[in-house]
Amino acid sequence: MNMEIEDIRGTFKPETIPKETTGDINDYEEALHVLMKFVGYMSSSLEQVSGRGANAIVYQAGKRMGHDAGKMVEKTDDLEKAMNELSEILGIEFVFEMWKPSGQEDYTIEKGDETIVKLLFMDCVVRQTLRRTGLPQKGPLCYLLYGYMVGAVEEVMSIKGKLDIDHVGSNACLKTLTIKWGGK
Amino acid sequence: MVEILIDEDACVGCGSCVDDCPNDVYKMNEEKWKTEVVNLEDCMACLSCHEICPAQAMEHRDIHVAKRLYIDRKVTDVLEKII
Ligand code: SF4
Ligand code: SF4
Repeated sequence: MNMEIEDIRGTFKPETIPKETTGDINDYEEALHVLMKFVGYMSSSLEQVSGRGANAIVYQAGKRMGHDAGKMVEKTDDLEKAMNELSEILGIEFVFEMWKPSGQEDYTIEKGDETIVKLLFMDCVVRQTLRRTGLPQKGPLCYLLYGYMVGAVEEVMSIKGKLDIDHVGSNACLKTLTIKWGGK
Repeated sequence: MVEILIDEDACVGCGSCVDDCPNDVYKMNEEKWKTEVVNLEDCMACLSCHEICPAQAMEHRDIHVAKRLYIDRKVTDVLEKII
């Protein structure tokens, strides 16, 4: 393959914070694909070495990310508000909405000290990575998103949360978020 | 509002979509032995039925289509030249 690599020359002072990336959309695309492949290989190797323990490791990583991200938004005990805030911090790479079957009246179901809500993840960069690397859904990488979501919910609402997968598809995945009231 | 079209000529009546759909959107029409849409409102456009259908017999219209960042444009460029 004949690839031309542009040599970018300039001055760089230690105190300078560059405003420009010096890259264009093709560079970003290239970087994204390299990262997707890298993460995909890392996930399958982790699974090979640690078996089901891989899920726990990736879940913890996601949870830490979620807690850090959750610190950036206002705390609330209003589930719908929390979902909106979370959707903002998760950004356009994790587009989700609350979902309910047509026969169910409200999005949330109260069960003792628990509130249950179904979330439909439409855009998900984890799913993109799995497709890029030919890996099945519901594997260790999906635990990154579980952890991320749970960590962020716990941080924003100061409660204990759990996310279970109901169904996966190539275009959207349905998950159940269970919130346990009464603090951590 | 989502719309699902079934190509009855293509459908082989395997029932995979009926088994796969978590929201019971499909039912097997036992006279024609073809799938039919019976619960459109509960379709969440996950498209797992598309992945499982051996005949590519269904089409979903007016749905949110997830980004396809996994497509490597360099590969599709090469494929376009070959095919
Ligand atoms: S897209 Fe998902 S919810 Fe809709 S019919 Fe197919 S499997 Fe069922
Ligand atoms: S999976 Fe496809 S071929 Fe099989 S019953 Fe459903 S629509 Fe027909």
